[in-house]
Amino acid sequence: MRTLQIKKKRLFEFLDSLKQDYELFAPVKSDLVKFERIAEVNDIYLEKNSYFPLKEYFFRKNEVLFNFTGTKITVPDVEQPKRVFFGIRRCDLNAIRHQDMVFEKINDPYYMALRKESYLLGYHCNEAPSEFCFCGSLDLADYYDLMFYDRGETILVETGSEKGEFLIKKYGKFFDETSTIITKAEKVIPGAERLKVRDISSLYHHKDWKKGVDICLSCAACTNLCPTCYCFEIHDEVSTKDTSSGNRKRNWSSCQVLDFTRVAGEHVFRKDREERFKHRIYHQLDYFRQKNGIDLCVGCGRCIEGCPTRIDFVDIINGMK
Amino acid sequence: MTQKQKLSENPYVPKPYMVLQNTRETFDTFTLTVGMKVNHEPGQFVQVSMPGFGESPISICSYSEEFVKLNIREVGNVTKALSRLKKNDKILIRGPYGSGYPMELLKGNSIVIIGGGCGVAPLRSIIEYVEKHRDDYKDIFLFLGYRSPDDIIFKKEMEMWKNKYNIKLTVDKNAHGTLCYNAKEGFITDALNQSDLNNKNKVVFVCGPPVMMRHTIDSLKEKGFHDNQIFISAERLMYCAIGVCCHCMIRGKFTCIDGPVFRYDQIEKFRND
Repeated sequence: MRTLQIKKKRLFEFLDSLKQDYELFAPVKSDLVKFERIAEVNDIYLEKNSYFPLKEYFFRKNEVLFNFTGTKITVPDVEQPKRVFFGIRRCDLNAIRHQDMVFEKINDPYYMALRKESYLLGYHCNEAPSEFCFCGSLDLADYYDLMFYDRGETILVETGSEKGEFLIKKYGKFFDETSTIITKAEKVIPGAERLKVRDISSLYHHKDWKKGVDICLSCAACTNLCPTCYCFEIHDEVSTKDTSSGNRKRNWSSCQVLDFTRVAGEHVFRKDREERFKHRIYHQLDYFRQKNGIDLCVGCGRCIEGCPTRIDFVDIINGMK
Repeated sequence: MTQKQKLSENPYVPKPYMVLQNTRETFDTFTLTVGMKVNHEPGQFVQVSMPGFGESPISICSYSEEFVKLNIREVGNVTKALSRLKKNDKILIRGPYGSGYPMELLKGNSIVIIGGGCGVAPLRSIIEYVEKHRDDYKDIFLFLGYRSPDDIIFKKEMEMWKNKYNIKLTVDKNAHGTLCYNAKEGFITDALNQSDLNNKNKVVFVCGPPVMMRHTIDSLKEKGFHDNQIFISAERLMYCAIGVCCHCMIRGKFTCIDGPVFRYDQIEKFRND
């Protein structure tokens, strides 16, 4: 890992060069801020984090696993698009890290292909970009190909991988050497330590869950907006012309809806909203850690910001005595 | 840029096998014998595909290296479609998956098998395993409960088992005048409570509907059984069977890889209904 710098006015020239060689994606502001394919680098918007996470670019909403005709199976060739994502915040970089862990473990060919030629260029938050952020309460890691730290006239650039080094070499003319070192303390985003309780394992039966969750609509906005949620379901779709052929698809699913645990014979294992809500929070802040040693949640706050009844699980947990 | 994929390395792609037999067990259950030669533990399951309908996790109810038997109830779209399979048809399967009954560790014990309805299917694999390793285990007790005499599965096997093992059979409701296999009307827990079963050098395997398992475990505890003597086999909705999709998660544990067999002290804190 090494640190370089780029003059702020040259940043967009660098991105413009990237755009010639790769598909460039970055946050764009329309009605909402979201990652989009960049046609014009001046469209890039870095004031706020994107409303939607990046996950659909790697873990797609709708993935054809294979096609079938009768019992004969063919797997579609998997695309490996050459893409650069610029402007990813520290929370979202860590969300990609967590999803990488999940899908690499099973060698998921669809996810791995979409990740392979994708470059992750991070953009450091000098302050928490939203009142719902709490990444400072969680143990986030450095996980990027390149990380950009806005320091006014200049932007410091840290390499985090061989892919990052490759880009620096390829576009060397934009970058200068620097002796500045980015300290660990400087990577902590100020004003984002809202979650005060780090171990929730003893709080499962706390009475305050019910109070907080009673207004849940089971709409699944939280899981869809979550950059780490990776649950999915698999269904077959048949051709209307020939019902013996079709494809098997993987779609995002949500633990917040009844169908998530409904088995044939109509038995539902998590019937109550409170149980389903707690399942999500415990998967994020307890279960995943039991298996992988780190929390799944990255503290982006999207599930709170996007909740139509504004259920703030951070407040609920903080209030538990 | 695209990448050609090897089918064998794709964890979602099932392999074709031959159906050797489709035997009707009851009006809504059947047993498929599949020419799948595979080493597996008793209690493991496979994902069975019917293209166009989907995939279902089905426990292996046999213990053989030559074939697998799958006892299936027609309860959803996939299982209804599977019931139409005939000898020599192709069937798509991936697996086996999950951790089964730790039979090796339980050597020297007597075996108590408590099954309700379809839940008897995975337990049948234990009986076949024990028959192949008869000297390693002591007595075998079977407690089998069904809704009615018409729901009794493995009737052929019952003829053998009743001569070899201590069987208690119950039916929730008896629609007929007479009952076979000395069955009694009532729940399986009644048979259990009335028996003189004690917990000495025994392990218990329970599988059945959630409500039956809950009451059975209560009865076993009253009889002095400890949580670490009881093994349950859990059922959950699952898609991937490889520990990713999360649908089968029970308080952080995956039914598909950590289970489906759990020693009860390892999941006792979790409500299993």
